[in-house]
Amino acid sequence: MGDHNNMKILLITTMISSYPGANTVGQAHLHYSPGTYIIRVPDPVVFPESFYMRCYEKGIDGIIIMSSGSDCPYEGAYRRLSERVARVYVQMKENGIDPSRLKLTTICTVCKAAFLKEINEMQKNILQARADKEGVAA
Amino acid sequence: MEEEKNTQSEENESEEIRVGVYVCHCGGNISDVVDTKAVVEALKKNPNVKIAKDFVFMCSDPGQKLIIDDIIENNINRIVVSACSPTLHETTFRKALTRAGLNPYLYEHVNIREQDSWVHKGENEAATAKAIRLTAAGVEKIARQDPLEPIVVNAEGHVVVIGGGVAGMRAALALIKRGLGVTLIEKGDRLGGRALELDRVYPTEEKASDIVSQLENAVRAEKIDVRLNCEIELIEGFVGNFDVQIRGKDSKIDKVRAGAIVLATGFDHYQPYEGEFGYGKSPIVVTLPEFNKLIADMPQSDKFTYKGKDIKNLAFIHCVGSRQMEGVHQPQADGRVNDYCSRVCCTATLHTINKTLDKFPNLNIFDLYKDIRTYGHGHEDYYEKASKRGVTFFRYTDDSIPEYAPSSNGSGATLTMKDVLTWNEEVSIPADMIVLATGMVPRDISNLVGMLKLPTGTDRFLQEVHPKLRPVELANNGIMIAGTCQGPMDITESCAAAGASAAKVSILLSKKTIEMDPYVARVDEAKCDGCKLCLAECEYKGALFMAESYAHVNPALCVGCGACVAVCPPRAINIAGWTLDQFDGMIDAISMEELEPATVPA
Amino acid sequence: MSAATIQKKADVLVVGAGIAGLQASLDLADQGKQILLVESQPSIGGRMINLSKVFPTLDCASCITTPRMASVAHHPSIDLLTYTEVNKIERTNGKFHASITKKPRYLDETACIGCKRCEEACTTFLPDEYDHSLGAKKAISIAFTNAIPQYPVLDMDECLLCGACAKACPTQCINFMQEPQEIEAEAGAVIMATGYNLTEISAKKQYGGDIYPNVISPLQMERLLAPHGPYGGVMRPSDGKIPDSIAFVQCAGSRDKSLGVPYCSRVCCMYAIKQAMLLSGSLPIADITIYYMDIRAFGKGYEQFYQNAKAMGIQFVKAKVGRISEDENHNPILRVERQEDCSQPEEVTHDLVVLSLGMVPAWIPDRDGIIPLEIGEDRFVRSVNEKITPSLTSMEGVFAAGTMTGPKDIVDTIVEAGAAATEAANYLRSQEGR
Ligand SMILES: Cc1cc2nc3c(=O)[nH]c(=O)nc-3n(C[C@H](O)[C@H](O)[C@H](O)COP(=O)(O)OP(=O)(O)OC[C@H]3O[C@@H](n4cnc5c(N)ncnc54)[C@H](O)[C@@H]3O)c2cc1C
Ligand SMILES: Cc1cc2nc3c(=O)[nH]c(=O)nc-3n(C[C@H](O)[C@H](O)[C@H](O)COP(=O)(O)OP(=O)(O)OC[C@H]3O[C@@H](n4cnc5c(N)ncnc54)[C@H](O)[C@@H]3O)c2cc1C
Ligand code: SF4
Ligand code: SF4
Repeated sequence: MGDHNNMKILLITTMISSYPGANTVGQAHLHYSPGTYIIRVPDPVVFPESFYMRCYEKGIDGIIIMSSGSDCPYEGAYRRLSERVARVYVQMKENGIDPSRLKLTTICTVCKAAFLKEINEMQKNILQARADKEGVAA
Repeated sequence: MEEEKNTQSEENESEEIRVGVYVCHCGGNISDVVDTKAVVEALKKNPNVKIAKDFVFMCSDPGQKLIIDDIIENNINRIVVSACSPTLHETTFRKALTRAGLNPYLYEHVNIREQDSWVHKGENEAATAKAIRLTAAGVEKIARQDPLEPIVVNAEGHVVVIGGGVAGMRAALALIKRGLGVTLIEKGDRLGGRALELDRVYPTEEKASDIVSQLENAVRAEKIDVRLNCEIELIEGFVGNFDVQIRGKDSKIDKVRAGAIVLATGFDHYQPYEGEFGYGKSPIVVTLPEFNKLIADMPQSDKFTYKGKDIKNLAFIHCVGSRQMEGVHQPQADGRVNDYCSRVCCTATLHTINKTLDKFPNLNIFDLYKDIRTYGHGHEDYYEKASKRGVTFFRYTDDSIPEYAPSSNGSGATLTMKDVLTWNEEVSIPADMIVLATGMVPRDISNLVGMLKLPTGTDRFLQEVHPKLRPVELANNGIMIAGTCQGPMDITESCAAAGASAAKVSILLSKKTIEMDPYVARVDEAKCDGCKLCLAECEYKGALFMAESYAHVNPALCVGCGACVAVCPPRAINIAGWTLDQFDGMIDAISMEELEPATVPA
Repeated sequence: MSAATIQKKADVLVVGAGIAGLQASLDLADQGKQILLVESQPSIGGRMINLSKVFPTLDCASCITTPRMASVAHHPSIDLLTYTEVNKIERTNGKFHASITKKPRYLDETACIGCKRCEEACTTFLPDEYDHSLGAKKAISIAFTNAIPQYPVLDMDECLLCGACAKACPTQCINFMQEPQEIEAEAGAVIMATGYNLTEISAKKQYGGDIYPNVISPLQMERLLAPHGPYGGVMRPSDGKIPDSIAFVQCAGSRDKSLGVPYCSRVCCMYAIKQAMLLSGSLPIADITIYYMDIRAFGKGYEQFYQNAKAMGIQFVKAKVGRISEDENHNPILRVERQEDCSQPEEVTHDLVVLSLGMVPAWIPDRDGIIPLEIGEDRFVRSVNEKITPSLTSMEGVFAAGTMTGPKDIVDTIVEAGAAATEAANYLRSQEGR
């Protein structure tokens, strides 16, 4: 648990599905790591590649984009988002940032289990990425 | 509109940012886990925060009063409340700001209950650190927030309804009774549409002509502006303000201004290709609408004669031009098959069968179907009655589509198929006449579809915004649909859809103006270098355009998705209330490494 | 010690807050009408909020219902009364007068913050009707996680009066002595949107739906399939086994004169296909069979949905199921009379069977009172101008929407609700001049 508390995961959620989804997890009083920071947006398509890179620079360990997927009310936004994420991956690699520290997924208003699973996986990914880095350094 | 806002934001730059922060205990729901006092103390260190307080129930009247008093007495001009989810109380607090005379958009709601104290029980220290960072992020966001005003556009109290079938007339009537002006445009020379082709209608057995005249008389009585023999030349503008050009028979163009548009352009009958079950090759093969017309005026008799010939065996084939399978059926002109069910033809066929038996009780009737879909009110009765009256039902599948063969004497035909109801026995059905239950296809409105960029589905019918929740609206704001232009429906369903679309229009036009959320794109003209990269990202026609060398937004058409924001190199375009600057500020707060040691509880 | 009667006034009284009542209320309130919306259950949302995903889009039901529910709850022109019964509506001098009773939740709604501390403190467990008795709840509880409003109800019949909840409540809002609140309301028009019930699972004796544990209702299956369902997965009730072989019996309660339900219930083909698809998603190796008479996939996109289900390997068998029994392990045995290929009735064993029950009206005027609207032979409220104005009832100023006028899926319900809203608005306008 100590390991988890010194990591910061940014959850980018959408107003129509994953933000209420995170509330559902709360209403059910489930538990997850406090190193998680939820921000809400109309649609994550708004963020340029540079936004993600800046987050990593500032010390964010992992980012989970919880999109609305097929429930997305905006035309073409999901396709653009996934194309952008692909470009972010390229930049991450170029800058030596482990790509497993970014995840694009879909979370709906009642996806409690999926929500927790994504956080757990991201925590594992971050630990693994840290271990890999140390391995390289050593 | 954007220009006004830019000057506003410049003014605001001179104004001192004075944020008030309020942390709610939620009666222990938050404060048992999060040290609210520590949050307050930490936030007091933020230079933009002039006041920070905690309180047992912020949403209570005394809680709201704290905010109102600080706005009035201490010149607080930005508010952050850290409490439950914004879905519960964001509006409550915005209203409190309004009551205190502050712009309600200068408010940020931070969720430290559902997304903090409730999910981090037992980790009080970490939950408190999280609450501090989230609240600080809220402060960063609101410190970068200008006052916003809802977008207001004029709402012309007039509606153009396109298509004068039952759906169009029904919509026009509902709208004029609501007090709106209506222009009803029909390209044909009379009102009524396809209903004019029907005799009696299921399930009420009313005369279709009575239904049409009931509607038409009401349309005339309400003095609706009906334009027969007219078509749409051009539609420009946006919700509340459409300019509609109508071309008359004489090619003269007339202009009407409308706040909204209802499309009710209806359906066409599926036209079988030549040779489909013998259609077009043999006169004994007709479609259901053709057959209905044929028998409408025939008197009752023990003999049914058609083209001089006694008809003894009459076969009906369902699903012609509907429920087609790729690889089995011949594709349509656009290369697609009609894979949808046409909904009305099963009941219409059984209705016709009963009517035929009323007139010609001695006929042998065969009904070749895939599934009998008599789903609606009173529909099943026609099926049951037909079964009782000795109609022979055969079930076919896509593996055994009935094969048509003209009989050797040329006057009749046989339909051969495997009947799955009787152990796949091969049956040959003698038919003196064959009626094809043809389905529905949308009427060709490609000019309108192209002009307005109307969304259509793979079935070519107009495609609603959401197939469950928003069935009568198109993605084009201000344009509604009614009736069979959307998909197969019967008259009841078409009229219900017309009523629903009238409700949506009434909502839009019930006031003189339409108010929309201010969360749309905004361009900082000083920053925009005119590169046009944003234009390619926008899916909404007319929302984003270039003029005077910088990008402009039509706030009435922009939906605020932000697709344009991400590609703008100088960050000149942003969604009001959700700017990238605001998000950067939030990330700075979230990634604060060290919290002031004193603020972390022991 | 009952409190004084409260007087309320509205433009339109809407009875029932399923998706029909919600939509009709929103469509009117957004036009500036004042609405009084009365729901007898503790939460709004009706049957739809109970569903897993919805055909044909496979949207999560909660995701598309909760935003509507929230819009209603926050709407400045909608006065919402939950856990409230309408006793009688009368029309006098062109106005409607309703006598209404707000049932006691045994807490002060104005003080409750929905924190569930009372629920955590309570030690009395009861079967959970929201999960169709598949799960358990407390004697004081919020109906379900995403209920709106988030106020619990205390079940006085089961409560031990131990006071644990009252002690736990941070706002001291629990009141064991709370009395029903009488309300008198005046409205210019009425929309009835009372929805449907399923036909009784016990009605068809040959199927033993009320006897065999693994013969379940489709609403139970919806809960099993929901991501937030009672077992967190699909397990059969008798022993928690994950079923390998699941069957749906279509028209089990519809198109059946012997049950008094001769009509087609219109949604059961589609919900069975939907459930079968969801099952084959969560239990990829399970055999899923649908025994049907006709597959009635008539709505927009429905036929394509059906064809997808076939392509996924779901077995569609045209057959009548004559009888259901069970073996010693509670495996249901179906006596299947195939109407294709084979003539001999056969006995087929499945692990779990869903009876695709039909729809009957939830409220029937001549049985349940309130307001004397005419009904049809099928006992649903009858439209007096079915073709042109389907929402028009036999009483002037009263409109009907959704499944209370006949079986309907969600989209047809929403359309009819919009049409009813239009009729009510126009009726009000026509009365203004008088
Ligand atoms: C064989 C058959 C039997 C049926 N029997 C029954 C029955 O018994 N009971 C029942 O309830 N339903 C029945 N129906 C269904 C019924 O016909 C339809 O539900 C109804 O006619 C649909 O009305 P509509 O207004 O949507 O479309 P339409 O009737 O097609 O009207 C559309 C109108 O729009 C006009 N239009 C189209 N494009 C333009 C344009 N660009 N500009 C201006 N005007 C335009 C057309 O000229 C037409 O007048 C039957 C259908 C069929 C095929
Ligand atoms: C198993 C199953 C699965 C389904 N799946 C789908 C699907 O995937 N897609 C789809 O489109 N449709 C589906 N449906 C159909 C869908 O449930 C209905 O179309 C829809 O819920 C009808 O909404 P309604 O508002 O008419 O009725 P209801 O949801 O029944 O709402 C009526 C409301 O009125 C209240 N009420 C009743 N009487 C009173 C009274 N006297 N006073 C006050 N309040 C009262 C009730 O408590 C209820 O809240 C399914 C149905 C079933 C049975
Ligand atoms: S309504 Fe009947 S005939 Fe028409 S397409 Fe559907 S199944 Fe075929
Ligand atoms: S919808 Fe299907 S299962 Fe339901 S009654 Fe109609 S035919 Fe039977």
